[in-house]
Amino acid sequence: MEARSATPGLAPIDARANVATIRALVRRAANELLRVPGAAIPGVLAPTIFFLGLTAVFGNLALLPGFTTESYQSFVIPISLMQGAGFTGAATGVNLARDIEQGWFDRLLVSPAPRPVLLAGMVLSASARALVPATVVLVVGFAIGVHWPGVPGLLLALALAMGMGTLAALWGVTLALRYKTQSAAPLMQAGAFTAILMTTAYAPLDLMVGWLQEVARYNPVTQVVEAARQGFVEGGITWSDTWPGVLTLAGLIALMAFFALRQMAKTNE
Amino acid sequence: MAAIEVEALERTFPGGVRAVDGVDLEVADGEIYAFLGPNGAGKTTTVRVLTTLLRPTGGRARVAGFDVVADPARVRGAIGVALQEAALDPLMTGRELIQLQATLHGLSREEGGRRGAALLARVGLEDAADRRVGTYSGGMRRRLDLASALVHRPRVLFLDEPTTGLDPVSRKGIWEEVTRLNEDGTTVFLTTQYLEEADRLADRVGIIDVGRIVAEGTPGALKSEVGRPHLEIRLAGGATEQAERVISRFGRPLPAKDGAALVELPRGAAEVAPVVRALDEAGLTVESLDLVQPTLDDVFVAKTGHRIEPPEEEAGAGALEPDGRPADAPA
Amino acid sequence: MSPLVANLRVIAALGARSVRQTFRRPQLVAPILIFPTLLLAIQTGGAGRAIDLPGFPEVDGFLDFMLAGSIIQSTLLAGNSGGIALAVDIEMGFTDRLLAAPISRFAIVLGRLAGTAALGALAAVWFIAIGMIFGATIHEGVLGAVWMVAFGALSAVAFGGIGAAVALRTGKASVVQGLFPLVFVILFLSSAFFPANLILEPAGSVAEYNPLSFIVEGIRDPVISTLSGETFWKAVGAIALVGGISIGLSALALRHRLRTGG
Repeated sequence: MEARSATPGLAPIDARANVATIRALVRRAANELLRVPGAAIPGVLAPTIFFLGLTAVFGNLALLPGFTTESYQSFVIPISLMQGAGFTGAATGVNLARDIEQGWFDRLLVSPAPRPVLLAGMVLSASARALVPATVVLVVGFAIGVHWPGVPGLLLALALAMGMGTLAALWGVTLALRYKTQSAAPLMQAGAFTAILMTTAYAPLDLMVGWLQEVARYNPVTQVVEAARQGFVEGGITWSDTWPGVLTLAGLIALMAFFALRQMAKTNE
Repeated sequence: MAAIEVEALERTFPGGVRAVDGVDLEVADGEIYAFLGPNGAGKTTTVRVLTTLLRPTGGRARVAGFDVVADPARVRGAIGVALQEAALDPLMTGRELIQLQATLHGLSREEGGRRGAALLARVGLEDAADRRVGTYSGGMRRRLDLASALVHRPRVLFLDEPTTGLDPVSRKGIWEEVTRLNEDGTTVFLTTQYLEEADRLADRVGIIDVGRIVAEGTPGALKSEVGRPHLEIRLAGGATEQAERVISRFGRPLPAKDGAALVELPRGAAEVAPVVRALDEAGLTVESLDLVQPTLDDVFVAKTGHRIEPPEEEAGAGALEPDGRPADAPA
Repeated sequence: MSPLVANLRVIAALGARSVRQTFRRPQLVAPILIFPTLLLAIQTGGAGRAIDLPGFPEVDGFLDFMLAGSIIQSTLLAGNSGGIALAVDIEMGFTDRLLAAPISRFAIVLGRLAGTAALGALAAVWFIAIGMIFGATIHEGVLGAVWMVAFGALSAVAFGGIGAAVALRTGKASVVQGLFPLVFVILFLSSAFFPANLILEPAGSVAEYNPLSFIVEGIRDPVISTLSGETFWKAVGAIALVGGISIGLSALALRHRLRTGG
């Protein structure tokens, strides 16, 4: 006869256990890509098509006096990196909504794993998965003449893409916890899409027209885009062009994490 | 200390739906307690409150000595849960799932692997352990769900309709497993719509309807409260009156029904043979004989005026509405 | 009543149903109207200085140029959405019920397309309104607006036929949904968002000969100048070409479905 524990559970929930939980959840999320054939394709196809399309269609904007580079593809590629990350993050939210609808999420909620640890597990997987579309876009970009951003520039752009993936995932997860249905998916995707495109997506700020120029000026995501862009457009990065974007992204992530945690706490209401 | 203590528990949903309307109960350590009631009675909601998935809107509940509202993390560490829809990830293998469960409960990789292998063998899934859950049958999923609920040796096990939708063989397998678990010392709180399940497994049964407990006790005590076994006898040639004279020597006669003579037999089957002998000696030929036991359904009818409806076999039981409320909560 | 009238009634009824369906589920309207509107705002503000480029057609503003592209985008998405809805009907068995009824087989497809046409017309009206609110002028006036709406409806039918053909052939909503990225590929390879002569090669050459470009120009012309006969007939021809092919494909797919049952 097995001895019953006098104290509940068999093991303490400590830092080691939390890290193990996060790793396990990230690995589970990876299954979606690794074990479902063709699952990666939509998330990769959309930003790549947009990148090629925007470059071909609007490429001649780079001829305008005042444009910061003569290579439109180099100008636009950070947007596609962010878009890929945005869609990946939104997909995390959609997956959570599905997990909630199907009862899987209850399994996590009923375990002693702390809520922030569960959140971290879900969201960190998005930041890693954001590298998949980012890599494809970069390969395609270099093939059509995007300037080499230098190693620091490349690493910065990838890091910011991962951060954007995290941000979009936090947004998607918050909506999933609030509405508990996959029908909220368009809202998750639209949020990421709009935030990324209402920036200096198509042209430098000075060459933008109308109210969108003001929106882009004050949209915090513009800072992130500009920081990711500098390597491709200028060949290298400077600290003064980097820290606003990094700080802004960190701030947005912190803000969105606050909302997400608050929604997590409300799951049993 | 009781394993589960519930006092005046209430759960009202937005919109005013009172799924749990003042439930009091206590489950002792090592007991099997069954919550029996129709769809929408509040069983799942109660389980969700006790497993900290839902916050009560009134009353108190303590599981394994911890308050579900004040100390939910400690409650979660002490309980194992197998919910209505065996919520499993179809892309994972059985082994991976148990390993994940072990990780969620803080077990090391090695410990989780060991416990997982042992539990998978115990529920007969060692051959399927490395196949994806998406390929498992309904019965296999339930067994996996049960195994994964045990990986951390919980003090209290919650089973929400553990055999709904299963074929009779699988159902029996689950019953055997639950009985074995209880023999090892685990307290079991299960909800069910199946009378036989409650009757067979439970030490005590709580009958719930519309959010309230209408009767509680051991299956035997509940049934005897409502009636005793009776014998229905049909004679060749329909000699009902003569039969009644004979059988009234053995117990209280009941009103005849459809040409059958009825007699109450307090000691049940043990008294059947003497009755048949007496009828034989009186020269009466018995055409058919039925020993009818009172059921928990009879108890339910006595307390609520209606029957527990036949259990639904389709999946859909256990689905959740968008606001987190179980889909079978009273509308 | 004559069979023609009876069929027309069926088509109208099914068309009304498909329009009702779309508007009862806002998440279906959003991609058709809101998303292209968002893109219009973003592209007008972001790429607005394009009108300064040498070789850009004479326009009052980039918005005037872009309206046609947004309308076409909507009609393409409406066609895709109609195809998805038809596939869902097939999956649900609703189409079987229609096929068992004494109505013309093809009326079922036309009914769905009638709904898509209504959406196409609505999209045109929507963007005309948006354009006027934000300062665009339609040079050809009311007549121009009428042409735009007519082209919107007709091109929606033409594209809808492709979605319907895929739906009928595969019976799966997920496959039709997979066509979504294709919509954007076709849009980028046309003069929807930028003049074909200013698009980088090799996309520019494709855009010059893409039938979609002719349709776009047909919708654009009344806005930025007066509608020229040549542009008008090219647009009509392109719609007829695409529509002919797509409706032909749907007819074949329908026949295949009826013969093989799936």
